[in-house]
Amino acid sequence: MDLKELKALLRLMEGNDVEELEVEEGGRRVRIRRPVPGRVPPAAMNPAPPAATASPLALPTAAAEASGLIPVESPMVGTFYRALAPGAEPYVKEGDLIQKGTVVCIIEAMKLMNEIEAEVKGRVARILAENGQPVEFGQTLFLIEPA
Amino acid sequence: MFSKVLIANRGEIAVRIIRACRELGIRTVAVFSQADADAMHVQLADESVCIGPPPPAQSYLQVPRIISAAEITGAEAIHPGYGFLAENPQFAEVCENCGIHFIGPPASSIQMMGDKAAARRLAARNGVSVLPGTEHPVRELEEARRAAREIGYPVIIKASAGGGGKGMRVVINPEGLESALATAAAEAAAAFGDAGVYLERFLPDPRHVEFQILIDAHGQGIHLAERDCSIQRRHQKLVEEAPSPGLNPSLRQTMGQAALSVARAAGYRNAGTVEFLLDERGDFYFMEMNTRIQVEHPVTEMVTGLDLVKTQFRIAAGEPLPVAQEEVRLAGHSLECRINAEDPDRFLPSPGKVTNLRLPGGPGVRVDSHAYVGYIVPPYYDSLLAKLIVHGRDRDEAIARMQRALDEMLIQGVQTTIPFHQKVLRHPDFLAGKTSTRFLERLTQEQ
Repeated sequence: MDLKELKALLRLMEGNDVEELEVEEGGRRVRIRRPVPGRVPPAAMNPAPPAATASPLALPTAAAEASGLIPVESPMVGTFYRALAPGAEPYVKEGDLIQKGTVVCIIEAMKLMNEIEAEVKGRVARILAENGQPVEFGQTLFLIEPA
Repeated sequence: MFSKVLIANRGEIAVRIIRACRELGIRTVAVFSQADADAMHVQLADESVCIGPPPPAQSYLQVPRIISAAEITGAEAIHPGYGFLAENPQFAEVCENCGIHFIGPPASSIQMMGDKAAARRLAARNGVSVLPGTEHPVRELEEARRAAREIGYPVIIKASAGGGGKGMRVVINPEGLESALATAAAEAAAAFGDAGVYLERFLPDPRHVEFQILIDAHGQGIHLAERDCSIQRRHQKLVEEAPSPGLNPSLRQTMGQAALSVARAAGYRNAGTVEFLLDERGDFYFMEMNTRIQVEHPVTEMVTGLDLVKTQFRIAAGEPLPVAQEEVRLAGHSLECRINAEDPDRFLPSPGKVTNLRLPGGPGVRVDSHAYVGYIVPPYYDSLLAKLIVHGRDRDEAIARMQRALDEMLIQGVQTTIPFHQKVLRHPDFLAGKTSTRFLERLTQEQ
């Protein structure tokens, strides 16, 4: 299973609003979980910590880092919006070229709209948060292919 | 009752609050720093939200992120625990302004009792004895000299804006006053951003006795008797017990009523604790009020049979107190040992991974802890790892039980203060109930 296939799986999951997917092929197995913050996590476990599986936040970033993509992480807790107002054009789409300082999204927190700026120059490779989705500190919102 | 609550804390108290919520059918939201992603409170909560990198100032003290976390999860209330934002009046006010119930007293009460010198004035105005001292912070030497002469040496210099031993100096005679004032003020400025210090009579060897009070939204108030927290190191409590070996029923009633009247005068609501110093003659003096649930609340729960954290939620939800004053019964004796992840001799923090854990059990033993095998104790927060609490039908049985439980308890991978507690629990003065705030000093000197 290579990165291209992993990316395809992620797109498949996002497109169908799937939270967890497990695929076995030729003796190799991959389980991908993309829990939404604020949604109920898998049923409670025994006191041992969730050791082996990478933390849900890490997987897109780990896979991304392997391919050289830079994550844009949320600097705050709030609600993610693609555009300033409902019906308005999103700040960025997949494939767009951005500069350092380009506003890529809004995070609303405590009734304030905060413009989130990119810190790298490049192309928007993936958008990992959905419009109106609650996001937590450190959550990966975008993956940027650096230019 | 609330349907969803956010716990703005971590460690053992966050676990404690989640347990109370579970029993009340309240859904829970944990917040966590990146250092606490695998913490027990995160595992146990129904939902969790990451609020920042490890340092408290960037996570557990981040008011906007915590409020935002409550908003995105639909939490109706926030329980602040102890420490962090629990006694921050601005935080309580922000909650109120955002329509989020703050599980605790009104912001105004927190504000009032947070100014230690003002709290003393309030107590004195309400007929509760305070140690002779300056009404207001002293700012210059001559004023301090006059005040100290009036109060009578020895005097203690204390910071107006905080506690925990910072900005405190004992002065035995007039010659030492000037330099002690200078160093205390500098320390206070560094720790609390306020160099204000006040002077007070110093008691040589008092007991630290604090009273638990509860006031509901209907104006009903009760006290749940006392906890003796005299065993302290640098003003950090290490062992607590209820009831106090130094009290009799009559003194308990007098002090309990005094505690309640101070709390009422501050417009208090919910659970709180009023601290006194008690000298050998049975004279007691108001020291301060803690406007939060305290670390050592379990010993009161053990002797009264009441769940204080559940009661906090009930009071916040507008329910009346669970009992009337005359229905409060104290049964047996309870002890608590704070097990810290520290070197047992020098009390230096010992972060690391817990590789083995054997928690004691059996009759009358309770452990409040967030530790588990594999847990990595982070270096960013306080070192409290577990509270070992016992209950017995009398003080002797509680002592025997605590000795047994400490011997059973095993924590490996980090150093802990279990050996220290084993020493305390075998010390003749402790066994005789001769506990006072200099107990630990005497213990250290003997070694």
